[in-house]
Amino acid sequence: MPLTFIDIERQKSWRISLLFLFLTALYFIFAFIVAQMVVCFIPGFSVVHGSLLVVKDLRYLAVIGFSALCIASAHFVASGLIAVRQVVEQIGAKDPDPEDGIHRQLMNINEEIQIASGRAKRIRCMVIPTLSANALAVADLRGGAVIAITEGLLSRLTRPQIEAVMAHEAYHVLSGDCLETSLATSFFGMYASALDGLRAGLAEEPRALPVAAVFWLLVQFETVVTMFISREREYRADAGAVRITRNPLALAEALDIIAKRWSGTGLISDGLEMLCISSPRISDHDEAEGWWDDLMSTHPPIRRRIGLLLGMAHVSASVLAKKEMPKPPAQAERQESLLYALDPDNVWLGPFSIAELATFPWFSPKTWISREAGGKAERAADLPALNGAFASSSPGTAAEQSEMSCPACRRPLAKLPYEKTTIHRCMFCGGTLVDNDKLQRMLARNDGECSERALSLVRAVIADNQRSLAIRNLRQLDRRKEQPVQCPKCGRPMFRTFYSYAYLLEIDKCGICGVTWFDPEELEMLRCIIENRVTGAGSLSTDTTA
Amino acid sequence: MAGLVLIAAIALFFLWMVFIYNRLVRLRNDVRSAWSQIDVQLKRRHDLIPNLVAAVKGYMAFERETLQKVAEARARAVGAAGLREKAATEDRLTDAVGSLFMVMENYPVLKSNENVMQLQEELVSTENRISFARQFYNDLVANLMTKLGVFPDNLIASLFSFQGAEYFSAGEEDRALPSAGLGAGKND
Repeated sequence: MPLTFIDIERQKSWRISLLFLFLTALYFIFAFIVAQMVVCFIPGFSVVHGSLLVVKDLRYLAVIGFSALCIASAHFVASGLIAVRQVVEQIGAKDPDPEDGIHRQLMNINEEIQIASGRAKRIRCMVIPTLSANALAVADLRGGAVIAITEGLLSRLTRPQIEAVMAHEAYHVLSGDCLETSLATSFFGMYASALDGLRAGLAEEPRALPVAAVFWLLVQFETVVTMFISREREYRADAGAVRITRNPLALAEALDIIAKRWSGTGLISDGLEMLCISSPRISDHDEAEGWWDDLMSTHPPIRRRIGLLLGMAHVSASVLAKKEMPKPPAQAERQESLLYALDPDNVWLGPFSIAELATFPWFSPKTWISREAGGKAERAADLPALNGAFASSSPGTAAEQSEMSCPACRRPLAKLPYEKTTIHRCMFCGGTLVDNDKLQRMLARNDGECSERALSLVRAVIADNQRSLAIRNLRQLDRRKEQPVQCPKCGRPMFRTFYSYAYLLEIDKCGICGVTWFDPEELEMLRCIIENRVTGAGSLSTDTTA
Repeated sequence: MAGLVLIAAIALFFLWMVFIYNRLVRLRNDVRSAWSQIDVQLKRRHDLIPNLVAAVKGYMAFERETLQKVAEARARAVGAAGLREKAATEDRLTDAVGSLFMVMENYPVLKSNENVMQLQEELVSTENRISFARQFYNDLVANLMTKLGVFPDNLIASLFSFQGAEYFSAGEEDRALPSAGLGAGKND
């Protein structure tokens, strides 16, 4: 057993050569079949040699073997060189933004992990802009290695937990098994993408069918490759992460959070699941044990991994249940939210709900609030339940003006910090401009705070949008005709569209600058919709039948 | 024939000696480079602390004592010479910074100050880097000490007078002092 991470890095995994042998064998079989076909379909050829089987002649076998070896080597090297770039492009990972608080923290953590492993290898960290919770590592033959972590996971984990996840991925890279899995995914990734391209053109060009069939067959070999990828390596990486951070509990908590969240199924494409910390593919094998499941799965049961880690930390599973973040239930908040407020004339008014309070023009973070008539008075800012009411109205202390102006009221937009990143907001109307790559971040970092007013507004807007969408679909009308908003960045008209068909909130997007404009309160509404999963499907059916 | 065997045996012995010697040199160099990594991070911390203290000073008028303790601990750590003393003073500095962070929790206004939060994150990161670099260094020292102690490596080591390395940790007597001092400070 190697003693330090430097030693681990010095020993390269021997299983890489096993993969190479597999690839060679695969190409040998293909070359052999092709040769047989040639012999069968060219009658003259078989007559000359007097036999249907080329196998009988060892010279032919040697030629086939040599060409298979050449093709396999070329394929091996090619996919080994592009593995990192290919995966990074496929998942759309981006470099962390140094201006973003949480991304800066990630960069720091990456540096810490490298110090803990004695800088045995240079590892870059990247961020995948999605709300799902997963992380992956990829390495290539050039010695480059990337750890990518999704925005959703980044915002849900505490610092030690992110550190544990990064250490887990770093161990994959250091032990060399990451190179092995990266190559395995890269081998057939080429064919998979070629197949996708062919599929599109197949309708017009039916003659491409045999080629597509061959590619399809090659892609199926991926299942065989997953058999090479042992699920043991996840246990080893968990243990390695604990050796780096000496904090098994943090990793157990992180895995628990990953297990309970959407781990990117459908988003992280097939073939990449073996790179991830937790498999995004829904498979019966992953949560089962036995030799067949061991062979067919890429990840061990996550419950067992958590169990082992908790064993290392000498704690029981109940710790995780306690640590589960208490989500503020919207219902409970609604019941206790009757409050009294001191108006500018020093008269106590009330009781009001939070939504009602928010409508008063004098209501500010400094307003005195009391939970009961004549009870203890507190500043509104000290009541967490009220914070949501200020979300749209609180101006920053030192708002930096940007060069862009509000498309609605033509005033300069202010650059404001928002969920540890920056937005451009009109301080007059409250409209907000967000870069598309920052949007996922701020949605992921949603803390679940959602004012009652926003919630009821959202329900109404979504029901309305559903109704109009249904009518439009029934009458087969095109989009609603209205004056388009002009992009504050380039001045071209933006197109108004739904955020998604699951979340029916209309927003304005600029297809050229990659920015999104939110009318007043729309950003808060979108956050509210996503956090509370307001889809209002029930109201659609009642509306359409009515 | 016997001569040939003898020559081969001597050559083999010589090769084996070279192998052991090289391995020991490699380990020693690994330890040295790990030490320089700790040193870099300690310097980084010494540079960051005054900035953080300056940034929070205005908000924490009532915590003069805590801030003073941090500044003193830093001054002592900067002036420390020798591994043992360094480890002891750095431990005390870690404690002082830890208590500063704890006190900062009581000032929600600091949470909204972007500059302070950034400095705090940098300092937290540096604390982690120091502890990781230290852990790595101590692992390597343990590795080297094992090699220097086991047969037959110890023969080669003593032949070329290889020196062991010191662990980066405060001695028992050093550790007892600061906790007593801190306890007294809290009672004041």
